[in-house]
Amino acid sequence: MVEFPERRSMLSIFIRRYCSNRQAILGAVIVGLLLLAALCAPLLTQYDPVYDQDYSAVLASPGGTHIFGTDDLGRDTFTRLVYGSRLTAAAAILPVAFAFCVGVPIGLYSGYKGGFIDQWIITRIVDALQAFPSMVLALALAAMLGGGFMNAMLAIGIGFLPAFIRITRAQVIQIKNLEYVQAARSIGCSDLRIAVVHILPNVMPTLLVQITLAMASAIISEAGLSYIGLGASPEQPSWGSMLRTAQSYLGTQPWVAFFPGLSISIVVLGFNLMGDGLRRALDPKIKD
Amino acid sequence: MFKNWKKTVSIILPGILLMGMLSGCGKGSQKSSSAKNSITISLHQDPPKLDPMLSSAFVDRIVFQNLYDKLVDLDSKGNIIPMLAEKWEISPDGKTYTFHLKKGVKFHDGTEFNAEAVKFNLDRDRQKNSNRKGELSAVAEVKVVDPLTVQIVLSRPYAPLLSQLTDRAGMMVSPAAVKKDGDKFQNNPVGTGPYKFQERKKGNQLVLVKNPDYWKKGYPKTEKLIFKIMTDSNVALVNLKSGQVDMTNRFPLNEVSKYASDSKIGIVNQPGPGFKGIIFNLKDPAFQDKRVRQAINKVIDREAIVKVALFGVGTPGRSALSPTSWAYDAESDKPQAVDVEGAQKLLAAAGKENGFSFTILTDSDPVSQQACQLIQKQLKAINIDMKIQKQDFGTLLDRTQKGDFQMAYMGWSGRTDPDGNFYSWVYSEGTDNFMKYSDPEMDQLLEEGRSLTDQGARKEVYKKVMQKLNEDVPYIYLYHENNVFGLSKAVKGFTPVPDGMIRTLDMTKE
Repeated sequence: MVEFPERRSMLSIFIRRYCSNRQAILGAVIVGLLLLAALCAPLLTQYDPVYDQDYSAVLASPGGTHIFGTDDLGRDTFTRLVYGSRLTAAAAILPVAFAFCVGVPIGLYSGYKGGFIDQWIITRIVDALQAFPSMVLALALAAMLGGGFMNAMLAIGIGFLPAFIRITRAQVIQIKNLEYVQAARSIGCSDLRIAVVHILPNVMPTLLVQITLAMASAIISEAGLSYIGLGASPEQPSWGSMLRTAQSYLGTQPWVAFFPGLSISIVVLGFNLMGDGLRRALDPKIKD
Repeated sequence: MFKNWKKTVSIILPGILLMGMLSGCGKGSQKSSSAKNSITISLHQDPPKLDPMLSSAFVDRIVFQNLYDKLVDLDSKGNIIPMLAEKWEISPDGKTYTFHLKKGVKFHDGTEFNAEAVKFNLDRDRQKNSNRKGELSAVAEVKVVDPLTVQIVLSRPYAPLLSQLTDRAGMMVSPAAVKKDGDKFQNNPVGTGPYKFQERKKGNQLVLVKNPDYWKKGYPKTEKLIFKIMTDSNVALVNLKSGQVDMTNRFPLNEVSKYASDSKIGIVNQPGPGFKGIIFNLKDPAFQDKRVRQAINKVIDREAIVKVALFGVGTPGRSALSPTSWAYDAESDKPQAVDVEGAQKLLAAAGKENGFSFTILTDSDPVSQQACQLIQKQLKAINIDMKIQKQDFGTLLDRTQKGDFQMAYMGWSGRTDPDGNFYSWVYSEGTDNFMKYSDPEMDQLLEEGRSLTDQGARKEVYKKVMQKLNEDVPYIYLYHENNVFGLSKAVKGFTPVPDGMIRTLDMTKE
């Protein structure tokens, strides 16, 4: 009970530190706008992203009724971007959620228990996975799983596993010998309780930073896979597949590529700024 | 999990290469243009097999035109003209073809071309492992009459024979080289053609050099022929603009109008002999009822597909025969107006008035994907929810062959004889009959079309065939593609032929 007010003050310290960083605020605003667009997509536009094909306005230039122009089937680019934010948000959240839910328990177990399974099985597998650049790994997995949006999400998620396992494991090894953990052990807490209640919360700040940065890279990976044709199906308004479509018209109608490209850049920048801000705000070594 | 490793590798490798290419961009071009005594042509695929017997890809045939001569050839109007055979006679019963061969023709390896060589080739093409077997199935025997006369004896009259001999089935490879190299012949192909094989770098380029002993004196006029593989037509166009290539076998359709009156680049835009459309799996319960297929056929807006997905570069149609064919029947090809009400009535009669859902398979070509999305929208009008699944072409072909699909987007490059656009597709036992369409009346008509020798009578038969197909709708014909070539204005002497090939014999570069 005595702890409670102190925790709140930790939170307020964090918020104060985060908000003192302008770039971090910008990052949060961009991410907030993405989520808002994803939630309110139908309110922001009068068109349907798939079925409103205007054959008389194919590849129309920006302006007029189509503020960002139209694509090669006469669909409103703005509408597809807005609805595409749903896929982008999903692409940010799903693989990271997968990597978190699978990677963190493994990392906790591995770091806390140590021994043969940790040293020779988990660490080796993680090493092997990490030998591939995550994009190449995601490409290989997506090709094996056979394309499609959810398969792409899984492939990217698996690509993130090593990082989550490693970070959790390293943090746990540091923390598990601290006095308060020993104290918990000496009063007879179970291993599970120690790992989840006492160690995990102290690993979270580091993981939080990793989550945000992984989200940025997940968006790029999804766009990349969709661009190659291993991600979303053709009619789905994924920013990556919009870019792919636009590639054919770079020489004649460059704006078709401009808007989805710009959107991806801005959102990835947003996540990176946010991750950076979190890291600074949570790192006790950086003074105000 | 790793059984698809080949596919995996095939996707990763290009990915890595692409990254490499992108990082290598901007270093400036090494050469400003290809040399004067050579012509460089870009191809949209790497020819898989340089042996006419084993070949199964369209793009092989473009390279073959230079390596191998055929017994007979096509002229620019699609008429059959002499090539290695100077003249020929057909017996009154249509079952014996006698060919008189050109004298003094030699293969690139110095061996002589004669009647024995023709027999060797046609026998080889009728072997079990040959991809030409079907085209020559009517051939019963090949007889050597004298060194320059050869007879082909058929088991039944087969009108498309000469037309087949203008293509791979009529290409003559060196018997000596085949006996020497066996299975490796395709790595070092030897024919009688105007160019000899020099070298190839898989996935990159193929180099042919002039055959100095070519039988047509003074030809070819160019020393070297280089085929460069450029899978993306936009990339090919950029290379054509910079002078790295002199000709492209594909052209980005959205750029065609822009280059109509360019000072450096010309376009040859010709209706092709093939068709594109939709295959139904007639074994699938959703499509067994003819009325369902007719309903789908009624709501598809072919003109919109050609206008939007092909930028107007193509001909909307309902027939397997394109306007280039002598058997073309304009009435059965003319697109009908979209009829949503009629389609709804048909669906209701079939008990599907509330619509249904299915998946179409398509390759990853942008035009195919666009067309599928247009159709997806058009089917929405009759409550049909069509899902699109993208596959690489190999998988698509594999799945349709196995019957593991509901609907697929697939076409045919077309043949000059009408039989070539029908028989393999809609004959019960046809090799490309992925629909599993089987109709005794249709089979009978197709056999009749093969056995008649009179062109007028054959035309009537194929008219009936097409009318029946438009009624039964095992396949929805959507449009006829054009063959669009990009050409540097410095290149002269290219004449398009209805088979969509590039014949380089008369081509020169200034």
